[in-house]
Amino acid sequence: MDAPISNIALAHFLLTGAVLFCLGIVGFLTRRNLIIMFLCTEMMFQGVVISLVAFSRFHLNVTGQTFVIFVLTIAAAEAALALGLVVLLFRHKRTLDAHAWTALRG
Amino acid sequence: MNYALYIASALGAVALLMMMPRHRPTPRALGGLLGAMVLGGLWLFLARFLPDDWGLPGQGGAVMAYYYIFSAIAIIAAVRVITHTRPVYAALWFVMVVLATSGLFLLLWAQFMALAMVIIYGGAILVTYVFVIMLATQSGYAAGPALSTTAGATDDSADYDRVAWEPVAAIATGFVLLAVLLTVAFPLPGRPGLEPNAEAAMVSDTDLRANVLTNRPSDRLALQVEDGAGLAAIEAAEGRGEQVSNIERVGLDLFESHPLGLELAGVILLVSLVGAVVISRQRVDDGEAREAGDAAEGRG
Repeated sequence: MDAPISNIALAHFLLTGAVLFCLGIVGFLTRRNLIIMFLCTEMMFQGVVISLVAFSRFHLNVTGQTFVIFVLTIAAAEAALALGLVVLLFRHKRTLDAHAWTALRG
Repeated sequence: MNYALYIASALGAVALLMMMPRHRPTPRALGGLLGAMVLGGLWLFLARFLPDDWGLPGQGGAVMAYYYIFSAIAIIAAVRVITHTRPVYAALWFVMVVLATSGLFLLLWAQFMALAMVIIYGGAILVTYVFVIMLATQSGYAAGPALSTTAGATDDSADYDRVAWEPVAAIATGFVLLAVLLTVAFPLPGRPGLEPNAEAAMVSDTDLRANVLTNRPSDRLALQVEDGAGLAAIEAAEGRGEQVSNIERVGLDLFESHPLGLELAGVILLVSLVGAVVISRQRVDDGEAREAGDAAEGRG
């Protein structure tokens, strides 16, 4: 119960987290559906959360897991706000296409 | 070792590019095969550096096997999230990512967080997403007969879901970042790797139990039972004895070390609650918004 995992085992978990984070970035950049774009940000959260818990296990310190609670809080708040915004935007233009709102570029 | 990580990143980028939805048919199966080969090859290459006990003392190789399984599920599901042309299926694949992540948490002794992820992400947040996807489906598309076709037929989904936007640039960005992250994460042969921070390590169970957790229900129960046999019976029945569970540790850390963060989280939740109400309150019934929507529909 008190032995830390090795460097390489930690790096394996960091690999999974990094891959999830980068897939989230790629999805956010390529998808044009507003809902899926926000889903991809949630996926980036997942990657970060895996890294946090892996470091928590590596240093034998539960603060990493405590931070995951805060990440969950922010994710829930973000989901509520973002989805409210998406519904609002959808009511205006009847589409979820992010390109329908390019006028926001100014 | 660096070159292996770079090559794996580049090949993974090519594989993902093959799977991206486009106007013309894409070699999706070929891309999936290439991606699986890259991932498997990378893991085989990296497994050579694992120490004899698989780097997980006292847990053995079975945990690493579970790591490969959960990790593969998470990555495959993540790829499907960003390549699937129908939003509902993308959300369902994201549930799979959450479940696999929870499995990884169990391997890392984070039992409470694993359950919290399933309940909060898989239960609450994803249900909200699916709900909004169903709310915001285009009229005419939801009621159309084409919806009853199989998932393989993607013709009925909206155009902005069927075509990826600038996939080459986006994938290049993402995988350059991935290569950099992997180079930092993996300890190179010539460079000293990360060491566990011994000072930050958690307090031992015995200390925590004697100095902090003096008023647990089980302990109070044990005090009521006078003779030692009763106490031993209780501890045996609970099956933890001197151990402090994961949820007790997380709770202690949360309330002892981060009280300000806890308050701020509450404020953020309140603000987002008010914000969500203000945003979606929107003139649903006063006709103005509906006219504007009708006008936009008429133009389109």
